[in-house]
Amino acid sequence: MMEKLYLIARIADTRVALRSRAINSVVTVGTPVHVPAAPPHVAGLFALRSRVFTLIDPHVVIGLPPVPVAPGQRVIVVDVAEHGYALLADAIEDVCFIEAPETRVAGKLLPGWARVADAMIEHEGHSLLVVDPSHFVTLPVAKAA
Amino acid sequence: MIDDLLNDFLAETAEILAEAGGALVAWEADPADRAQLDAIFRLVHTIKGSSGFLSLPRVTALSHAAEDALDQVRRGNRPANAALVTAVLAIIDRLSGLCTALGNSGTEPQGDDGDVIGALALVDETPTAVAAAPAETTEEDINTDLLQSWRSIRVPLPLLDSVMTGVTDIVLARNEFARMLRESGAEASVIASFDRLSDSIAGMRQSVSQMRMQRIDKLFAPLPRIVRDLAQDLGKKIRFSTSGGEVELDREMMENIRDPLIHIVRNAIDHGIEPLDERVAAGKGVTANIAVSARQSGNQIEIEVRDDGRGLSPDALVAKALSARIVGAAEAKALTPREKLELIFRPGFSTAAKITAISGRGVGMDIVKANLEKIGGVVELRNDEGRGLSIVLRVPMTLTIISGLMVRASGQYFAIPRGSVREILLETSDSVRIDRVGGGELVTVRGEQFPLLRLEQLLGGEIDASEDCDDRAIILIRPGQGMSYALSVAAIHDHEELVIKPAAPMIMATGLYAGTTLPDNGRPVLLLDVQGLLAAAGVDASEAGRLSDANAEAAAEAAAARDAVQLLLFREAGGRTRGVRLSVIERVEEVPATALFESAGAVQVRIGETIFPVHAGRVPEGGGAVKLLRLYDGRSVLCYRIDAVIDIVRLPDAVQPAAQPGLIAGVAIVGGEPVELIDPFWLMAQYEAGAAGPDQRQPLCRLANDADGWASNFLAPILRGAGYRVIGGDEASEERPDVQLCLTGAAAGPIAADVPLVRLRTSPAAAGPEDDSIYRYDRAALLEALRKQVAGGRP
Repeated sequence: MMEKLYLIARIADTRVALRSRAINSVVTVGTPVHVPAAPPHVAGLFALRSRVFTLIDPHVVIGLPPVPVAPGQRVIVVDVAEHGYALLADAIEDVCFIEAPETRVAGKLLPGWARVADAMIEHEGHSLLVVDPSHFVTLPVAKAA
Repeated sequence: MIDDLLNDFLAETAEILAEAGGALVAWEADPADRAQLDAIFRLVHTIKGSSGFLSLPRVTALSHAAEDALDQVRRGNRPANAALVTAVLAIIDRLSGLCTALGNSGTEPQGDDGDVIGALALVDETPTAVAAAPAETTEEDINTDLLQSWRSIRVPLPLLDSVMTGVTDIVLARNEFARMLRESGAEASVIASFDRLSDSIAGMRQSVSQMRMQRIDKLFAPLPRIVRDLAQDLGKKIRFSTSGGEVELDREMMENIRDPLIHIVRNAIDHGIEPLDERVAAGKGVTANIAVSARQSGNQIEIEVRDDGRGLSPDALVAKALSARIVGAAEAKALTPREKLELIFRPGFSTAAKITAISGRGVGMDIVKANLEKIGGVVELRNDEGRGLSIVLRVPMTLTIISGLMVRASGQYFAIPRGSVREILLETSDSVRIDRVGGGELVTVRGEQFPLLRLEQLLGGEIDASEDCDDRAIILIRPGQGMSYALSVAAIHDHEELVIKPAAPMIMATGLYAGTTLPDNGRPVLLLDVQGLLAAAGVDASEAGRLSDANAEAAAEAAAARDAVQLLLFREAGGRTRGVRLSVIERVEEVPATALFESAGAVQVRIGETIFPVHAGRVPEGGGAVKLLRLYDGRSVLCYRIDAVIDIVRLPDAVQPAAQPGLIAGVAIVGGEPVELIDPFWLMAQYEAGAAGPDQRQPLCRLANDADGWASNFLAPILRGAGYRVIGGDEASEERPDVQLCLTGAAAGPIAADVPLVRLRTSPAAAGPEDDSIYRYDRAALLEALRKQVAGGRP
């Protein structure tokens, strides 16, 4: 059942579906602590339940300019290689079961999205990109910007 | 199931074998030590018992043979001698080998142990008087002993580590919860029960930390054996002792210092302890001593390895470093004595005249030092050339919790490991000078130069003009041996005990951070990597190149300090700080309060058989000790009562003189505080009334030559005390001197032909019958000669 459960969110100005098993939780953050000299997609650090998480700005990973973190903004918490990260989300829409199968990505994506998208899925008459959150963390960041 | 049993057996046996090795060596040194023999017997007995249960025939046979032989000794049927100990040690070695094989393959390898068991039987050939008393202990006693001493359980290390991590998380969660409670303004009853929870968490953290602690004698256990074997190989006699084995250390730290410790002990035996004949020639006992001791100081553990060998010879070290091209000739010249010793920490340095199989393997003290520094420790040398060397390893008790210094830059807090901080100064401090040189900055602190890095710039930001730029702080950081730099930050916050966690890989990859931590306020803080900052700045922080400058400046400062008048700062009985020129103080005397008494309206003190006047209004009440400054003018002593000596400083150039002559000569600013200066001239005059009046003519004595200052420093006070006025050889005087003094052997100054001359010599014995000079320390003869000349020269 869990395989069919998706989190629908708006990340980097795009609606995407995230496989729920990759996701730890969705929380709100205050002002993060800036990390000087860190790669540009690192938006800062914040503490949650006495753990320190690294905040990732997906806009930068996709190749868009970074967005400021607003207090109370919702983030998607994921664990990658035993470290805690959180992806800044523009909006969290829904958690739902999608019965439709994941399909191969059809059509040409922007290079930024091509790197993070695994598949596509049909949901309520829209095609959504299925993305793996860990790709936002581990992928080499585009040098441009 | 069997695997678990086997693992337990192997772990236990490894421990027992290590312990038995040490115990055997101790017993060999003192065969009459019955307790030691019993202990060894029990250990071997335990191995035999467990191995029988697990059906390991070779282990059983070996331990049985050793047990048998030891039992014979206990029963008095067999002597304890070196040969027997060697044979038992051989069995222990074989057992260790078998256990290693067992651990790797899970089964006991095939093989024949007849050689070592046979060797044990052979040593029995020369029965002599038996040291040990007949045994009375029975097998049952032994088993009860065993039960008592093994009341502990074995826990896999990963489990222990995960418990530690869990507790650390609980502590962090508690910190966060505490913050939320504070912010929400919770009721007193809620806070009270939270405090109770908080206390028990603190207690639990303590217990878990203790679980990870092991007695340091585990670390010492293999050493006696190593010393014995090595000493035998090298034909040296060594008495080895350990102390402080009950000190406990985090097991992870223990792992990290095991190899360095063994290396240092081997070095001591191989290089430190001289061959027997050399020891005899040096007047030392044939048997050398090596002592390993551990002690706890604060949250650090000190482990000292001390030997009474030849110590380190700084000059030999320099010669060696030169020939190995580790230092250049110019650098070698500039080395301080301490730096010469520390050459042994340079990579590629080996102190042995020739590389030996024992310790000269090219890896040396540099590796020891690197290993220690990796875990936040330091290595110190205490050298006593010719008499021994002691090497002190200082390590923190635990790894995960460090003491950190919180600093601010760009409006954000960062932590710096306290261990690498050498000194903290304000940029505006008088002892700090900042120079901009070719786009870089350097700071000079008391003559020593450091490259100056500004944290904001290292982190790619700008210095925030809105922050107080006036009182920026400078932290002198020593990231490693022989390196230092100054880090400028906007402000210093405070010290905190910090639980350090690694940061995300992409943050660690910047090389600037060593981890993250979560202080009580709930905002994550980055721990700076003090070595990484240096690499990021691309600055050469090695202290080596700066030495000559520092030395020159230090020399200049020292010279300036010599010229300057020194001021003794002290606290008066009333609590006020006052100063007096150090040169008028003969010494500081501490006497019982009962030694002070009042006589004829003046306070006096009895010191020994002499009575001196004391400058004090009345005799102090109560008992205890009284501190007195002894002012000496070359003739008489006056005691000045003080509460405590504070410091010795340079007398500032600017002194505001007092309006009236009196006890206070003036006021000077020392360390930002006004300090009243005592006028010794006025003081003495108060108590010298009735002494020789100033108008009485005092004979004038001229010091004809005084190249090294002896005459003015040593002689002149004596002469003045005896009622002479003294002038130097090159001082012009309108008055004709009554007598002149000349030191033979020194470069003679101009000698006035028409003035009587007294010659002084430096040797007690006269050069010949016609030598009429006087030995310069013969006070009575000198004064007598002067008196004769002055009287004779006067009409």
